[in-house]
Amino acid sequence: MTKILIVAQSEFATLVRSKAFIVTLILMPVIMGASVFIMRMTRDATDTNQRRFVYVDRSGLVGRVLEAVAEVRNQTAATDGLARFEPVAVSPVGRSNDDLRLELSDRVRRKEIFAFVEIPPEIVDPDSSSEIRYYSDHPTYQALPDWVQVTVNQAVLSERFRAAAVDPALVARLTKPAALGSVGLFERDDSGAVRAGEEVDEFRAVGVPAAMMVLMFIVITASAPQLLNSVIEEKMNRISEVLVGSVAPFELMMGKLLGGVAVSMLLAAIYLAGSLGMAYYYGYARAVTPVMAAWFLLFLVMAVLIFGSMFIAIGAACNDLKDSQNMMTPVMLFMMVPVFTWGAVLRAPEGTVALVLSLLPTAAPFLMLLRIALQPGPPLWQVLLSVTLMVLTSVAAVWAAGRIFRTGLLMQGKSASISEMIRWVRQG
Amino acid sequence: MTDAIVLDEVTKRFGGIAAVDKLSLSVPSGSIYGFIGPNGSGKTTTLRMIMHILLPDEGTIEVLGSRDTGAARDQVSYLPEERGLYKKMTVRRLLRYYGRLKGRSLAEVDAAIAEWMPRMDLPGVLDRQIETLSKGMAQKVQFIAAVISKPSLLILDEPFSGLDPVNAQVLKDAVLEMRSRGATVVFSTHDMGTAEKMCDRIFMIFRGRKVLDGSLNQIQEEYGADTVRVRTAGGAGVLSGIPEVDSVNDFGQLQEVRLKGDPQAFLKRLSARSDVYRFEVTRPSLQDIFVRIARPQEQEEADRRQETGAA
Repeated sequence: MTKILIVAQSEFATLVRSKAFIVTLILMPVIMGASVFIMRMTRDATDTNQRRFVYVDRSGLVGRVLEAVAEVRNQTAATDGLARFEPVAVSPVGRSNDDLRLELSDRVRRKEIFAFVEIPPEIVDPDSSSEIRYYSDHPTYQALPDWVQVTVNQAVLSERFRAAAVDPALVARLTKPAALGSVGLFERDDSGAVRAGEEVDEFRAVGVPAAMMVLMFIVITASAPQLLNSVIEEKMNRISEVLVGSVAPFELMMGKLLGGVAVSMLLAAIYLAGSLGMAYYYGYARAVTPVMAAWFLLFLVMAVLIFGSMFIAIGAACNDLKDSQNMMTPVMLFMMVPVFTWGAVLRAPEGTVALVLSLLPTAAPFLMLLRIALQPGPPLWQVLLSVTLMVLTSVAAVWAAGRIFRTGLLMQGKSASISEMIRWVRQG
Repeated sequence: MTDAIVLDEVTKRFGGIAAVDKLSLSVPSGSIYGFIGPNGSGKTTTLRMIMHILLPDEGTIEVLGSRDTGAARDQVSYLPEERGLYKKMTVRRLLRYYGRLKGRSLAEVDAAIAEWMPRMDLPGVLDRQIETLSKGMAQKVQFIAAVISKPSLLILDEPFSGLDPVNAQVLKDAVLEMRSRGATVVFSTHDMGTAEKMCDRIFMIFRGRKVLDGSLNQIQEEYGADTVRVRTAGGAGVLSGIPEVDSVNDFGQLQEVRLKGDPQAFLKRLSARSDVYRFEVTRPSLQDIFVRIARPQEQEEADRRQETGAA
């Protein structure tokens, strides 16, 4: 046991001195912050171009409204960071419909106009099923068609009310929708008083769980793959021979794993402390509970044991970094599963997909953590089952990696194939 | 005297090929034991088995009186053929790590570092990274890493290869120092001169089998007094065609001649052909014995290459 700790201590000291660790420590929050910033910037991205479009109003009723609304909108468009919409009327008279559509399509292609819109004659008729047609070669640009749809519909509705002799102002007053506020459940506090639920805050409900999962991902990717580099270096420089002369291979591997766990704990502690500080500063001090932090650390240890074992085994089986990169790909794919699926878990944390994925031992450290962080959280049995499966998997991974490590460590020359690694595990 | 290492009928195979074949060997405690043999003959495999890095397929190995894998680990140190050092670590961190892995306390390790660094002529490098050291310095650091735990058995794989004469002498003195402190030293080498001068006993392995084992005296006696060292005015050229000559090892200024007949008859014929400045009937050198054993293999391999080429 003492020797395991000596190896772990040395591994820890080497890992925290490595460039990879320091770069992760400093750069990762910067990159994460920058990407959040860029996402916000692009979400609110301003499109202040002029969007000139032609409308063909066969109803003769909504064109004027379109122009009037556009004019009002354009007055403040620049200051609101919006595009200017400039409707231009074209009369359909004197041409066949298809000739007109072809002519306008050509104008779009020549960039004279951005798009054109056809408003059918019976648009005001409530029994008609005819639609507004929007033609453009920019299928992903939604601001203009959305605006056209809303504006034309407003004009159509007010035209219908006018035809039915109903005051549009009265309609607007009577059809005003009621707002919905999302509120948490009532509870009884320690003094026995009933306490109202707090208003549900999107940041706390979704942001904190998602941030915890991302943090888990960062910490694991910063610590577990380093173990592979450490093993490869020892193998290539024949350090393994000296070490195995002093300490049993399994002790050596366990020392490395513990060193990896310690490094990940240090990273997690630094990031968690930083996040808590920020949460406190912004008034979210209660967003991360000690219980949550405990779950985080438990799942982190499991994840580092599972993935760290895999990386150590690969390091022991390979003889150069290039081979190991190839072998790493499947493990990295395993690690990516939660990245591709966490959206589904977020939308339906109680669903079957979420349950199955959060029980999968390689995905559980991310997805079960996410589910625990999402209110109201999964049933206890699911959490316990997931932890049990993870413990069993980490024991199996450590055991198998120990066998591969023992055989692979002293192999020189060709890197082992997957089938050879399986044989080493089976034969010991 | 007890034996530090006892190998009994040890066999190790890799992919069906025996790298070491039914090898038996006893290394007396406190001796310096030299392992010689051509490349790929099984030296390193044998050393690794003694270190319990590899386990034999058959036979038993006893190290310092114990057959238990790893029981003697803390008393045995190993210096691999080359490298074996972390490039990015400082010398101090590396020596402390290796010493503590052998079960020594930090205080013991630091005391040993303070003793060995000046002895190995390595002042002021303790806080330098390994990658900044010269090859000679790194090799000496590696040696200190091996002896820092005060091992009872020291196993060195090619410890002197690639060293300049000054560093080689420092290392040889250090090996002798370890022996004088009671340690058993086993080392492999390709340098027959070193083996002859330093080793109490020499063991040669060839194609996984033991072909020589004993003191230099015993080995040379086994190979008889059929060798003559000559220096003549005519050089190696005058030796050709003399019927007593079996083979000649030409050193330029001196020829080592292996005879298949009477040395006096050979001397007569030689002096008839040229002035003889030196004539010494001697026992074959270790180098000569090594070549006699290993050369047939090289010849076979050359023949095989020729056949393959012709086909």
